[in-house]
Amino acid sequence: MNLDKMMDLPGALAAFTYSDKGELQSHVLREGTELTPQVLDLLARSCVANQAIASMEARGWEAVTGQTGFQPLKGFSVVGLEWSVVVNGNCGVVVRNRDVDYEASFKAVQAG
Amino acid sequence: MHIVKQLMSIPGVIAAGEYAYRGDRFSYEGALTDEFARMASILCRGNTLSVNMQSEIFDSFAENCGCRPVQGWIVRGDQITVCAVGNYFSFIENRDELLNDVMTIMRAKVGDVQDDLLVNLYAKLGGDTKEALY
Repeated sequence: MNLDKMMDLPGALAAFTYSDKGELQSHVLREGTELTPQVLDLLARSCVANQAIASMEARGWEAVTGQTGFQPLKGFSVVGLEWSVVVNGNCGVVVRNRDVDYEASFKAVQAG
Repeated sequence: MHIVKQLMSIPGVIAAGEYAYRGDRFSYEGALTDEFARMASILCRGNTLSVNMQSEIFDSFAENCGCRPVQGWIVRGDQITVCAVGNYFSFIENRDELLNDVMTIMRAKVGDVQDDLLVNLYAKLGGDTKEALY
């Protein structure tokens, strides 16, 4: 997992990894950001929960509608007022909205 | 041009729509049945309220940390991505640059979602929003 590489994404404010339970394991913060390790820890826990919910919804949606293409899940993002968090598996990146490249961010966390 | 029509004019956008507070008032265009659009609206409304609740918890840890109010969310599937901004949603194919284009349009057209999400969503139903909610 190369967090420094993820910090090269446009507008990256933080990159982090977490356990399957959502415990923050490693992180890099951009100097001057308002984000803290405590916020990242909480963010990581919400990311685990959101990925689990999205995975359940994808599975259910495919079963009920017969539409395919949702599984396996390749990531989840929450778009906040000033930044977005993009996660997949056990890693995530926080990117400033005015600079964000969602596709590059999803590719980066998928590679992670 | 209305946001849903504008989104549907982009190649690779499968369906787009708008939903209201309860998820049972909706409009849409594209490759969904009425029943699937109803289900999508309820699902989007549920996820939207959930991430908003989470952002309020973040805010209690670090006030004005930049996440609140939540503007939307994205689920990246294997071949299809679901995007929600405010009370609009879209189902799109995973094509190069399409996600960035769709998110740019949705954010620009919907504008910044204000603090009171419930009031915004419920207002789509009409009537006295405050009386109905509080």
